[in-house]
Amino acid sequence: MPTILGELAGVESKSSRYLSLHVSTKIFLPLSFAVAIFFATDPIKALLLAAASAGACVAAGVPLSAIKRYLAVIVSMSSFIVLAFSLFTHIPGKTLFEVTLLSMQAEKGVFEWKLSLTDTGLTYALTFILRIFAMILSATLLMATVTDRDFVWGLLSLKVPFGACVATSLFFRGLQLFASDFYTIREAMMARGVDFERTSLAKRFLLYVNALIPLLSLMITRSYEVSLALESRGIAPGSRAASGYYTFRMRRDDYAVIAVSVTLIIVYVLWGRIP
Amino acid sequence: MAGPETQVKAVRKRVTWMHIVLFAFATAISYVLAVVSSLIFPVLGAPGVSALYLAAAIYVPLGIWMGLWGCLAGYISCLFLGLYPSGYTFIQSFIWSWADFIEALLPLLVFRALSPDPDFTPKRPGAAKLLPWFIAAGTTILFLGIVVQLLWGATYGEPFTTIYVVMVYLGLALACVGIAMGLIAGHARTWLATILSVIAAAFGSGIWGAGTLTLWNLPPPLPAELFWPVFVGWVAGDLIVLSVISTALLVALTPIFKRTGLFVRGWWA
Repeated sequence: MPTILGELAGVESKSSRYLSLHVSTKIFLPLSFAVAIFFATDPIKALLLAAASAGACVAAGVPLSAIKRYLAVIVSMSSFIVLAFSLFTHIPGKTLFEVTLLSMQAEKGVFEWKLSLTDTGLTYALTFILRIFAMILSATLLMATVTDRDFVWGLLSLKVPFGACVATSLFFRGLQLFASDFYTIREAMMARGVDFERTSLAKRFLLYVNALIPLLSLMITRSYEVSLALESRGIAPGSRAASGYYTFRMRRDDYAVIAVSVTLIIVYVLWGRIP
Repeated sequence: MAGPETQVKAVRKRVTWMHIVLFAFATAISYVLAVVSSLIFPVLGAPGVSALYLAAAIYVPLGIWMGLWGCLAGYISCLFLGLYPSGYTFIQSFIWSWADFIEALLPLLVFRALSPDPDFTPKRPGAAKLLPWFIAAGTTILFLGIVVQLLWGATYGEPFTTIYVVMVYLGLALACVGIAMGLIAGHARTWLATILSVIAAAFGSGIWGAGTLTLWNLPPPLPAELFWPVFVGWVAGDLIVLSVISTALLVALTPIFKRTGLFVRGWWA
């Protein structure tokens, strides 16, 4: 069964031992990194957390090459963060580089816009950038190890109404359906002479807008077909599903992973209190 | 003796499979569009934020057509967008995604208050086509004028104050022309509700979205200094997308939703 990231981007965990863990464990470990990020307030803490997230990914069999998928995100966020600390604000500290971009005499003084790099500003930027790595790796760990079946069976085992379980399953199936519909509509437009590569951004925007109406019409048609099929089987949305079909059991590995996750949170909470 | 009692009871509508299935598929479409728009029209440095966020254009109609199902579709699709390809943690994404819930909820509230049975039949198609552009341009200019005054005008005075005054007057004039066009385009209450929905959704989601990216998250993925650039980009982009695309979708597909009985008149059914 492919994981969510496996279906979306072809990246998934290779470790059958990790994949066989209880769904709560697979959610709790990335969640513990998400909590720890909050306490990673300096470059050392953030660096260690990023390394720990990378280690967790490796242990879970998630290839670190998955981070390539996020390369654009990392580069753009990092440059934006450096710009934020140098162009949009002045962080007090030892000035490493400064240049005035715009100087204008205003009514109540001189308006100046400076590009200013200070050592404190760079430390802040580095902390934010390292936290981005930890953040992305924790999201990758979650998405590359949890399957849609985990979600649906997890909901069933919690005796959630059938409607919610079916909706969850349909959402994951719908992703593939509508992504493929979107490309079919795009190809139909290209077959009629539309060149997406050479058109300007504004025109491309309008072209994508044109694709929305057939996409939404398909959504209505599909919804009709699927809901009629469900109704014809006599299942009410509020009925409770039998939970014995598949039962999740906590095992020794689960307790070990949960213990590591709790330790990580405690360490970062206590360490975060130290200035 | 009284005649046969003719008591008409209002039929209580219940949630059916149609609502649930439509919600699941609407969430899937919203996610696909959200990913496509954040990859094609990205805002530098703010993953998941798009200069022209196509998915937002369908949250407004979804909220109006499907009630709270539409809001939930916006929330869940944004939650997954936050995780992939944006790369936020589950907690950050859980908090940030309420921006898209708000984006559908505010139009829903406006329509429930002003025009519970919207009628988008254009009596003057020309006015209906031009209206979104006037509203988008007018509100964006007005908004930028207020930002100039808040950031620089209040501290430095002239020439920022003059820029602010010019932009506010110009923006207001364009927005007023748009509102006047709305009043003559067709059913006045429906078009007025559309205009208010677009403005409320853009600003409401912008405040929450930019705020949770830079100020109020656990922890915010971006520094606080970036609040204004992200907020301005978010609101301006949303105003264009919502007024142009949402209006077109509402005009084209509202009759289909009403005819097929998919239109949710309460909150859930």
